[in-house]
Parts: sequence; C-alpha cells; structure tokens
Amino acid sequence: MAELPVSTPSRAATPVVPGPSRQRRLVLPAALASLALLLVLAAPELLPTYLVNILIRAFLYASVAITVDVLWGYTGILTFGQSAFFGIGAYAAGLVFTHVGFDTGLALAALAAGAVVAMIVAALVGWLAFHPGASPLYGSVITLVLPIVVTQLLYSGGNFTGSSSGLSGFESFELSIEAWFRIAGVFLVVLTGAAWIFVRSDAGRILEAVRDDEQRCAYLGIDVSRVKVLLMVACAAIAAVAGWLFACVQMVVAPEYAGFVFGTELLMWVALGGRGTLIGPVLGTLVLDVSTSYLSGALPFLWKLMTGLAFVVVIIALPQGFLPALLALLRRAWKLPAAAAALPPVTLQAAEPQPLSGLQGAGHYALVVEDVRRHFGSLQVLQGIDFHVRPGELLSLVGPNGAGKTTLMRCIADGAERSSGRIWLNDHDIRRLPPHACVALGAGRKFQNATVFETLSVAQSMRVARTRLSPPSMLRRATELALPAAALQVMRATGLDQQLDAPCNQLSHGMKQALELAMVLALEPSVLLLDEPTAGLTQAERTLIGRILVELTRDHALCVLLVEHDLDFVREISSRVIVLHQGAIVLDGSVDDVVHSDLVRNVYAGGHAPVAGAAS
Amino acid sequence: MTLLLDVLTTAVILYGVSAGLLIVFGVMKIINFAHGALLTVGGYAALLVTALGLNPWWSLPFAFVAGALCGMVIEKLVMRPLYSRPLDAILATWGLGIVIGQCITLAFGRGVQFVASPVTGAIAIAGNEYSEYRLLLVPVVLGIIALLAWGLNGTRLGLLTRAVIMNEELARSLGINSALVRFATFSVGAGLAGLAGALITPLSSVDPNMGVPWLVSAFMIVMLSGTSLLSLGVSCLVLGGAQVMVSTWANPIVGGMTIVIMSAVILRLRPEGFGRG
Repeated sequence: MAELPVSTPSRAATPVVPGPSRQRRLVLPAALASLALLLVLAAPELLPTYLVNILIRAFLYASVAITVDVLWGYTGILTFGQSAFFGIGAYAAGLVFTHVGFDTGLALAALAAGAVVAMIVAALVGWLAFHPGASPLYGSVITLVLPIVVTQLLYSGGNFTGSSSGLSGFESFELSIEAWFRIAGVFLVVLTGAAWIFVRSDAGRILEAVRDDEQRCAYLGIDVSRVKVLLMVACAAIAAVAGWLFACVQMVVAPEYAGFVFGTELLMWVALGGRGTLIGPVLGTLVLDVSTSYLSGALPFLWKLMTGLAFVVVIIALPQGFLPALLALLRRAWKLPAAAAALPPVTLQAAEPQPLSGLQGAGHYALVVEDVRRHFGSLQVLQGIDFHVRPGELLSLVGPNGAGKTTLMRCIADGAERSSGRIWLNDHDIRRLPPHACVALGAGRKFQNATVFETLSVAQSMRVARTRLSPPSMLRRATELALPAAALQVMRATGLDQQLDAPCNQLSHGMKQALELAMVLALEPSVLLLDEPTAGLTQAERTLIGRILVELTRDHALCVLLVEHDLDFVREISSRVIVLHQGAIVLDGSVDDVVHSDLVRNVYAGGHAPVAGAAS
Repeated sequence: MTLLLDVLTTAVILYGVSAGLLIVFGVMKIINFAHGALLTVGGYAALLVTALGLNPWWSLPFAFVAGALCGMVIEKLVMRPLYSRPLDAILATWGLGIVIGQCITLAFGRGVQFVASPVTGAIAIAGNEYSEYRLLLVPVVLGIIALLAWGLNGTRLGLLTRAVIMNEELARSLGINSALVRFATFSVGAGLAGLAGALITPLSSVDPNMGVPWLVSAFMIVMLSGTSLLSLGVSCLVLGGAQVMVSTWANPIVGGMTIVIMSAVILRLRPEGFGRG
C-alpha cells in the first residue's frame, strides 16, 4: 500500500453525490406514520366489531413485540421474559381495581405502580443477567426464569391474585371499543415512531455495536452492563404500560399473560416479521395474532402446527424474517438501490482535545506496574512484574510465545485480570475496575486480532468509539464526526477517510487493523496498549503504522506499550524495550542494550535459564 | 426416611430427564428446546404400548426408538444449518417442540390419558409405605447412567465423542467425522428423552404439553452441570433435594420454583456451576 497524501480532506474534495437532504429523508417515514395514525383513527368505523376487538389486543401485543425487537433484534439479548413485564402491568391494574376499587386516579396510580415494579424487577434481572463476564446464554436463562417465577407467584397468590384463573369482573374505564381501538392504535404508532427514531439515532448504533462485539465495546469505554440494564428497564416499563392498557380493555388478567409461553410467542412474532426492523415485528404480530383468532376455530390444531412450522423454517432459511426478504424482492423487481444509500453523508472534523478527561491531570508516570502476578490454577504466567513508564515513551514488550506479554496487557486494561499486585494509570490505582473504567483512566487497548463492528460502517464505528467523550444523541444522526488529531491522522494515512460509509465487514484485514487503531485513538488514551498491531500487514503498512506510532509518542506525549515479535520493527521505533521470559522481566533497557544482549539471543534461541551469563 | 427416599427418587427422575439434554449440549453446545416435546413423544409411545396391551416394560425400548427416530429426522433437517447459531437453535427447536406437540394433539387428542405402570403398589420401608415404581426408577436410571458412561468411555464412538466435546476443530482436523458424531449424539440424546418420557408417565399422566415443565427444569440443571455426567448427578441431588425439602416444609408451589431460582443464583455466583469450568 502506497502512502497516501496525509492532508486529503474527507469529503469536500471528492465529487460529492448530493445525498437526500434531512428533510427529504424524513418525508417517507413521516408520511407512513401519519397514514398509520389516520388508519387507526378511521378504522373502527369500517371494520367488523370482532376484528376491532382482536386488533386492540394485537396492537398491545405488538407494542411488547417492539420491545423484544429492540432487545433481541438490535442488541442481541435473546429474552423470553418480556411477557413477565406485560403481566406485571396487567396485574397492577387487575389487583388495584379488584381489591381497592376503580376511579381515574387509582387507575393512574396502578399504571405508575405497574411501571415502577416492572422497572425494579428489570433492574434486578439485568443485574443478574448482564454482570460483566456473563455469557449471552446465561442472560437468556435469567429471562427464562423470570416469567416462570412470576407465574408461580401468581399461582400461589390464592384469592389475592386469583391463582390460576386470574382476576376478572373488575370495573374499568367505560369507553367504547372504538375508543379503545384508537387509544391502543395511537399507543402502538407513537411507540413504533419513538423506537424508530431511537434505533436510527447515533445512540442506537451502540446497541448494534454491543450486539456485534461486546468486548470491543467495553474496551472502548462503554459500560455494556449499564447499557443493557437501562435498555431492559426502559423496555420493561413500556411492556408494563401495554399490560396495564390490556387489563383496562379486557377487564381480565390471567397468569398466562405473564408466562414463558407467551414470552416465546413474542419471539416468534418478532422472528417471523423480521428481527431488527421494528416494522416487521409489528406486522408479524398483527398478522399472526389476527389470523390465529380467525383460523384457530376452523383449524384448531393445524393452524398452530403451521405457525410452528413456519417459525422453524424462517429461523433456518430466512433468519432475517419475512419483511426484509419481501423488501429485497420488491427492490429487485423495481431495480431500486440497496437501503445503505440512505445513510446521511458524514464529514470529518477535528475534535477539541480532551486528554485525560475526568482525571486530575497527567501523572508523573503514565503507567506503573508493581509486583503484578497472574496465575491460572497452578500455572504461573506472570511472576512479579515491576516497571514504570513515562509519557512519551514507546516501550516494546518482547519475548517468546508464552512469555506472558498478552496477559500483561490484559492485566493493565482490566482490573479484574491480575491475581495480585497493583497497577496505576496516570497515578490512579486501577484496583479491580472493569475495562470500561480503565478506559476512563487513560487505557486504550487494541486487540491482537483486528476486532471491528461487522455490521457498522467506518463512520459509525468511529462514532461508537467516541461515545465516552461525546455522548451520542438519542434522537438524531449527526452529519459531523469530530475526531482527535491522532485518529484522523491514522484514517487519512490509510485512506479510511475515503471509505466512511463502507461496512466494516467489507474492509481488508489491513484496513480493519487500521480502523481498530483509529477507534482506540479516538478514545484519546494516554496509555496505548497495542498487541501485535502489524500482524498480517504488508511491509509498507508496517512502516506506515510504525511512523504513526513514533509521531504519536513524540507529538502527543502518549505512552505506547507495544507487543511485537518482529524485532526489526521493534528496533526501528522503540525508545525502550522490556524482554519477558517465562513470566518475568529478564531485561529492561534501551534498544541497543537488548540488541547486544547474549541473554536475549539465548532466550529466543530456546534457552531455559533466564540468568545473565548463561549463554553458551 | 420418606424424605430421604423422596430426595433420592426425585434426583433420579431429574437425572433421567436431563441426561439427553446434557449429552446434546455437551457435544454440540446447543440447547435442544424440543427436548420437552421428545419427552412427550416418549410418554405417548408408552401410551401406545398400553393401548396395544403389551407388557408395560416394552414401553422403554419402544420410547427410546421413537425418540431416537425423531432425533435423526430433526438433526438432518433442522439442526445442521444451525450449529453456528446457538441462540437461533434454541428458537428453532422450541418451534419444533410446538410442531411435535400439535402433531401429537392431532393424532391423540388433547385430553389427559393414563399409562399402565409396570409395577404397582407400595412397599413398606422402615414402617412407611413407599411407591414401588418410584423406588424401581432408581436402579433403572442407574442402569441407564452406567450404559451411558460405558458408551462414552468404553466405545470407539464414545472416544470420538469425547474428542469432539473437548476440541471440535482439532478433532475434525484429525479426520474425525464430527458430523457423524453430532448425528449419533443428537439421536441418542433424543432417544434418552423419549425413554425418560416413558419412565415418568406412570407417575403422572400423558398430555400433549407434559414435557414443558420438565424441559425448564432439565434446562436449568444442564446449565448448572456443564458437560459431565458426574456433575449432572451432583446438580440433580442438590436441586432435587432442595425442591423436595422446600415442597415438604414450605409450600409445593414455591418448591416448583426452587430449581430455577437456585440454578440462576448459583450460576451468577459461580458461572461454571457444578462443572469444573
């Protein structure tokens, strides 16, 4: 790869295809939303009463399906438990109306109580399910436990909860079913619109980033557990409101509405409609729930059999669901361009530097490692590592495979990793802090394998990387992307700034490495941890990255910790070298010290005694 | 004494119900949510044996074969494309469970039916009457465990299976036909589910959704046990014991939640559960 002119402006100089303006991009969705509202307001006069009744229920189910889609389709949290929150909202109304009485104030109190209880339960469930290091399967297990526990509690509630038959015959708002239809319909349309705005906003990209690579998010300073818990809490509140509406309309609540079978039914609707599309799950729910009501009478078991079969087939053959498949077909029929063209153009800008944001200022040392040990069972991987690094040093860690280099990197960027010892980043003790908190102290870690967010574009990835320093909007998509100078430099030097709209999964290996480096630099770290950043790159790309690293340490007073096997590369760029062997430092000195050391030669040649003078 | 027997027999029943799920999870890292429906298949196989007037003992091999046949078809048609998408596999197998449940409903009706038990009556132990069939389950399930352990540790297919469990990539690069191992495992797992279904039916009754509550317990127990038959035994004893005690001393409905809640909490505190991690 040839070196590109460093000063290429990102978009201004390239022939700009006039993208659809913000107004034009919003016309279609706004028109659709208005049409949906009109339909909802006019329909009850035109439809048969039976269908109106069914649709009210379907609207509320679809509202819950939206929350399932946000959690599962967008964020990748497979949840069986949204039914439980729906049930909590429904029972809040049922219990208050049965045992306390009914008036508008009490109804609103029940609504508030249901939402609050649902949110508390969701926070509890989130705390259990999304603790750092929890596997996705464990999270799903917890969301499966939740509806089971809730239904068991309802069963054991005796007369209070009505046990298995639930509560019915309570008083509720005296509204016509047409009015309820409009209320439920408007609720659904507004919710869909709000969710649509949220998932397409810049903040919505964080959800997809979490789905793509949770670990990368954590090392970009994003508190993934907090994101998931907050999302869960918000979705629980929405489901509870839908449940409350349901109880008010139907004037009956039963344990099944909180149950695990209903929870999986929601998943089926979302999967069939098209996960991660919002509209798909809504349509899927409406179509399936309504057709079930009509057909389950005529074909009692056959209909359920057919939906089950359709579900299995869709999961296997059409994992994206019916809506995306249908749209793709239509697009092919009319030869329309793919939807990706609808992305707003992004212009790059230089960001105000915020080095060490939130810290009291640069320490005397950028990094202090004191007697750090790490063992896996009886295997000692690090045995008492001690060293100090000042800002502006480019320190290379070398050593044969298994010397503990990557383990040491891990210990610096994640407080939970080391077995004992202490580490300070910019004079702040990292204690047992998780990775995202270490990022706040100045750590920026690039992994050994290029890890990028496969489904995001280059610009979106960079914006996710800026989440900590410039929180993204939950409403809109910014057209400017402000990045620190170092990140811009990497992007321009590698040509990434010419591919801002390119999906990351289409980048070459070298470009992915460069993008990950740029993302880490966008964190404005003061201690940059690079694990073999040039692995798999061409000679020209290596030279380029080496030059950028030298400039970073010189111009931005960064402390760079580099793990490398290529000793020529190390010799060219390092200001200091530490040689690790069998988990201990055998040499800490300048490049010359290392190059002329017999000991190092011995270590690399496979010697076993890490003692000076043992060379043969 | 009765309590002790209750704990023992409950643990044994849980073991029987979970073993098939564990085998499949161990080899494929996939949760087979059709496991509940396969239990139901076993239950209805037992029902058929009763209806044909055969000796009730015939229901065991018959249920195993019925489950294994279902498993073979499922593996070929459904599981193959889903090995790389474990969370989707949960959903697809759940859908499959619905399909199987509805097929059974279409064939047998949705009513509750009863199956003849191979042995009836009670036996006096230490002054208490105890169900003979529950007691009989202990040696039967222990026998199944012994067979499984022998299959895994004493046969060539078992050796290959263990190799695939430990490191599938490596096993495949060594020329092990992991597709065949998966096929065999899934079939055996499904067969065990059918067998377990036939074993539990004399204790309760048969209906098209009988498998679902068992599925949830078995799922939690397998999550807790990892991939080893031994830790499965520990989980079943601990959770089965807890369930029996809570049901006896507190209330049966809370007892029903014991397994799921305890598993969730134990997994939170110790993610590797009772397995060695």
